[in-house]
Parts: sequence; structure tokens; C-alpha cells
Amino acid sequence: MPRSIDPPRDLWPQIEAQLGAAGAAAPRRRTAPLRWLAAAAMVGALAVGVWIGRDLMPLPGAAAEVAQQPPANPAGANPGGAAVNAAFVSDPRYARQRAELMGSVQAQLNAMPAPARAKVAASLSAIEAAKKDLESALGKDPSNALLQELLINTYQDEMRVLTDVHEAGNAGRGI
Amino acid sequence: MAPSKGQMQAQRQESRVDWEGALVQRAVAGDTRAFERLYREHSGRVYGLCLRMTKDAHLAEDCTQDTFINAWKALPNFETRSSLGTWLHRIAVNVSLGRRRKATPVLEAQGEDEEGELGGFALETPVEVAELEEAIGNLPDGARDALVLHALYGYSHEEAAQMLGIAPGTCKAQLHRARKLLKERLKLEVN
Amino acid sequence: MRTVTTLAVLALALAAGTLARAGDSKTFDREVSAEPHGVVEISNTAGEVQVSGWDRSDVSIHASLDDDVDRVEVTSSPGRTVIKVILPAHSWHGGEAHLRVQVPKDSELRVSTVSADTNITGVTGIQRLNAVSGNVTTDIAGADLELKTVSGDIKVKGRGLPAQLRITSVSGDVHLQNGGGSLEANTVSGTLVASLEGAKSVVARTTSGDMHLDAKLTRGASFEATTVSGDLEVRASADGGYAYEVSTFSGDITDCFGGQQAQKGYVGHSLSGSRGDGAGRMRLKTMSGDVQLCDRT
Repeated sequence: MPRSIDPPRDLWPQIEAQLGAAGAAAPRRRTAPLRWLAAAAMVGALAVGVWIGRDLMPLPGAAAEVAQQPPANPAGANPGGAAVNAAFVSDPRYARQRAELMGSVQAQLNAMPAPARAKVAASLSAIEAAKKDLESALGKDPSNALLQELLINTYQDEMRVLTDVHEAGNAGRGI
Repeated sequence: MAPSKGQMQAQRQESRVDWEGALVQRAVAGDTRAFERLYREHSGRVYGLCLRMTKDAHLAEDCTQDTFINAWKALPNFETRSSLGTWLHRIAVNVSLGRRRKATPVLEAQGEDEEGELGGFALETPVEVAELEEAIGNLPDGARDALVLHALYGYSHEEAAQMLGIAPGTCKAQLHRARKLLKERLKLEVN
Repeated sequence: MRTVTTLAVLALALAAGTLARAGDSKTFDREVSAEPHGVVEISNTAGEVQVSGWDRSDVSIHASLDDDVDRVEVTSSPGRTVIKVILPAHSWHGGEAHLRVQVPKDSELRVSTVSADTNITGVTGIQRLNAVSGNVTTDIAGADLELKTVSGDIKVKGRGLPAQLRITSVSGDVHLQNGGGSLEANTVSGTLVASLEGAKSVVARTTSGDMHLDAKLTRGASFEATTVSGDLEVRASADGGYAYEVSTFSGDITDCFGGQQAQKGYVGHSLSGSRGDGAGRMRLKTMSGDVQLCDRT
């Protein structure tokens, strides 16, 4: 069975006429990165630079709202009472590593089959949404240790995802 | 040592991609002559796909035109490392599905219509192929879509499912259904 | 434009499943000696990788290759067998290779694929498996497992024997049946379903994916499950019982133990208590996901 069947008549003249209506010059290629990349680049400058297990290091620049919030985080308070305000921490090494990974991730995503790309893009969106939700919640309760831990987990997961997608470029070519 | 058959084919394919990539770049810059070259190269496969999905020659012509117009608008987003043919097919599938939904429903023919024509399109082909085309044309829409994309155009289950907007499992089930119905209709015995 | 084909060829191609691939494949067969506990490495881009363990000290490879595949390269050295599917340079349409490989069952198996699905049975040695979008299905029997995918789904079937299990995916679903020992499992948006026997340590994490965890814990075990917005359902029992702390910022907490109500703080809910002697430790945390904790029946 033939895959290719010539149309019964030449359709090009009608197509060409409508290309004129669509604009003879095709629109410029979009150069803006995915929205999440742009957001991530901004966040990269404010990134958490602390890789933690349980203990949270006190960091400078605690938000002024802390003093005005009711005390006592009921959801498992950090025994030391320390708190991390992620927005005011930056670690140049973390930021550099993240920026490098982000540069390669776009290329890896483009190389993936569309169903896989869609799934990974959904995960990256989920991470972005999680960061926003956590930061928003921390804005209301900055000393909440649960939220702080979940936010830092999310940053760690983001780094893991970026690394895994970056390394996907070497997959299938030998261990 | 002479290049192997595989190496020669790879070189031909590489040249083809380079040629096609150059045309895409020119078309993105607004060169409609370059886009016409791409149209001439791919219109047969796009029309063939549209025809089998819509089962109607007029709809297939509209679908082909819309596919290339949509492709022109979206061309700046096409990654030249990918297959242009596959990309055009994805657009064609979307357009066909949309056209099919809007068009007056084509009756699911159980046999030839009154004029004895083959479900809305006729090909000047040997009888055996015509019989198979008719049988495929008489399949239910979902089964026919899966069969055409997977068995005729060689897309994987995942690719075909993604094009059709269905789960890969559903696509496999539709394919199984298509084969079963075809075998019954054509009374084939296959090991 | 070629239009002529016979009905028989068409029918055969239909039965084979891919009309376009009729006559487009070649085969590859090779067998090499291998040490019973050696390393076997397999890499493939697209298609399928099926591996089964056997009692022989040989690695046997049978492959069906698309015309787009250049060759299969097999190299064998003491203690190591490497099988690689080679595509032509600058290949613009990834050819598929369907590999069937039989390996000594105690081999250390390493598989790396892009979109090829991986299916492993009867291998009792260590497994290190990577896939980008291919799905991975394997069974394990007491040896360590490290399994990573980007979007491929993961299915692991164990025998409840202790081992170190590390399973991560970005967006694939993770299903672990009858794991044991130590589990570290991560997925961002996939669903995580795990059943464990004799688990000593469990660390499970998702961002938005739901988790369904069913675990029999050893005495003094540690169990931690964290998600931002996924729902978390845990059914657990433990030798010596366990102490639990459940916290959520805006999700709901329910338990099957009756009596105790979740404490509502200024922000968030928490629930803590213990089962049995409280020898083990369980921590469940979410931001907005709901949590349910019950005994394992």
C-alpha cells in the first residue's frame, strides 16, 4: 500500500495564496526560554545554598514579618529554634552548577520524544508550582520548620531532576 | 573498504536532512519558494494520511492545505534535528481529527455504496490493494487511525497514541481491533 | 511512486504488526563465555531489551535490528561482557533494536537505554538500570538495585528479601511489589506504590505524586515519607511497634486507630502517637497532600 498519494490536483496555488494572508514572513523563532527556566534563573540568584539533613543553619536577613507572626510552629518545630529564610541565601557554587545544568536541559528536552518531553515538562512545572506554594506559605509562617524542610527538599529534587535530564544525553551510548 | 549498505543509507539520509534543513531555514526567513520545495516533497504523504483518516477526497484536500498553512506558521518552532515528515504528520493528524469532527458524519459503510465506489475515494491500483484500501476505509475511525499510523506510516505505539491524543494502551487495543476486523473481512489465514 | 504489492505480503505485514517494516529488519546472533558473577553491560537507544538469567556461564544475544541500526557490538573480557547497539553517526531517525539476552543469573547487570523498554527476569545479581523514556520492569532476589528513569515507568517485583533498593524517576510511576531491606524511592510527579516485607529503612519522596505504601517493618526501623502536594496513604506494621509523627500544612490527616484527633495548630495539623512498644520511627510530612495512616492487615 502506498504511503504517498498525489492529490488529484495541485494544491500549492491555494496554499501560497493563504501564506500571503498569514504573512509572507514567517514569525521570528521564539528565543525566550521556557517560563520555568526564566523563573529558575531568577530564583537561582536567591537559591538556597545549604544542603541539609535535619539541622538548619541560621542565616542572615530574616524577614521582618517573623517578629509579627504568632509563635510556635505546631508541625514539628526545629529543636534549635533556627530558621532558614531561603530568599536571602545564595551560594555561588550552587548557582553556578544550576545555571550550567539549565543550559543543557533545554537541549535534552528538545531531543526527547514528545510524550516523554511532555511528562518531564509536567514534572518541572510541578516542582516550580511546589516552590511557589511553599514560598507563599512560608511568607505567612516563616518559622514553620515543616515548610522549610519541604522547600529545601524541593530545591534538592529540582537539582536532581536537572542532573538526571542532563545525564539523559549520555544514555544508551554505553555505561 | 567499500561502505556498507547501512553506511550508504546513513549518508543519503544525512544529505537529505542537510538539504531539508537548509530549505526550512530559508522558509523561516520568509522564502515561499523554499517552502514550496518542502510542499512538493511531502504533500503526497500528507495527502495519503489525510485521505485515509478522513475517507473523503475533498476533506483530504482541505486537510492537506490546512496542514501546510499551519506548518508555515509553526515552522520557526520546528527543530531541524527532528524529522520534518513526522512533524507534518502530527499536524495532519490534528487537522484531520478536527475536520472529521466538524464534517457531516461519513456513514460507516458495511460494503460498497450504491455507485459501487470505494467509500468516497478510488485509487487506480491493482485489485488486491484496492480491496485492502476499501477494507481499511470501512474500519471504525479509531481502529483505522491506529492502523494507518502504526502499520502504514511506521509510527510506534507511543508516537501514534500521542498524535491521536490517546493512551498508548488504547492505541494498541485499537490496532488489535483493526487487525481482527480486517482479517475477518478479508478472510485471511495467517500464521 | 510504487503502488504494486501483493495481498499476501500485505497480510503478512499486518500479522507482523508493522506494514512499513516488512523486509526492513536484520538479525544478529552471538554467544560468548562469561563468568558466573561477572558484569554484563547492555546499551540500546530504541526498541527493547529483554534479559533473562540462566544457569550457563555464557551470554547469548539474539537481536532483530531495523535497517537504521548499524550493528551490535559485543566485547568480552574476563569478568565483563559489553553489548552495545550502534546507530549510524548523525542518524536522523533512531532505528530500533530488539535485544534478547541471556546472562548467567548471578551476573551484575547494567542496562542503559533511551526509549527502549527494558524487561528483566531471573537475574539474581546486582542490577543498575537506567532509562530515559523507556519503561523498566524487573524482578529482584536479594541483591542491590539501582534504577533510574526520566519519564519511563518502573515496575519491580521482589521476594521480600533484604537489599539496598534505590529507585528514582522524574515523572515515571514507580511500582515496587514485595521489596525488603532498605528502600530509597523518589519521583516528582509519578505515583509511588510500594509494598515491603522486613523493611529496615524507608525514605520515600514525591513532589506532586501520590504515594501508597504498605510496609512490614523490622524492629527499630525508620520510615519517612514526604510529599509537597501528593496524597499519602500508609499501611504499616512493625516488630516492636513504632512511634509516629504526621505533619501537614494544609492537608487532612486521618488514621484508623480511633480516639486521637489530629492537633490543629495555628497553621497546619499534626498527629503523633505510637503503636505497640514504639520501637521504630515513622515520620510523614506533606504541605497540602492528605495523609492516611492505618495498620497493615
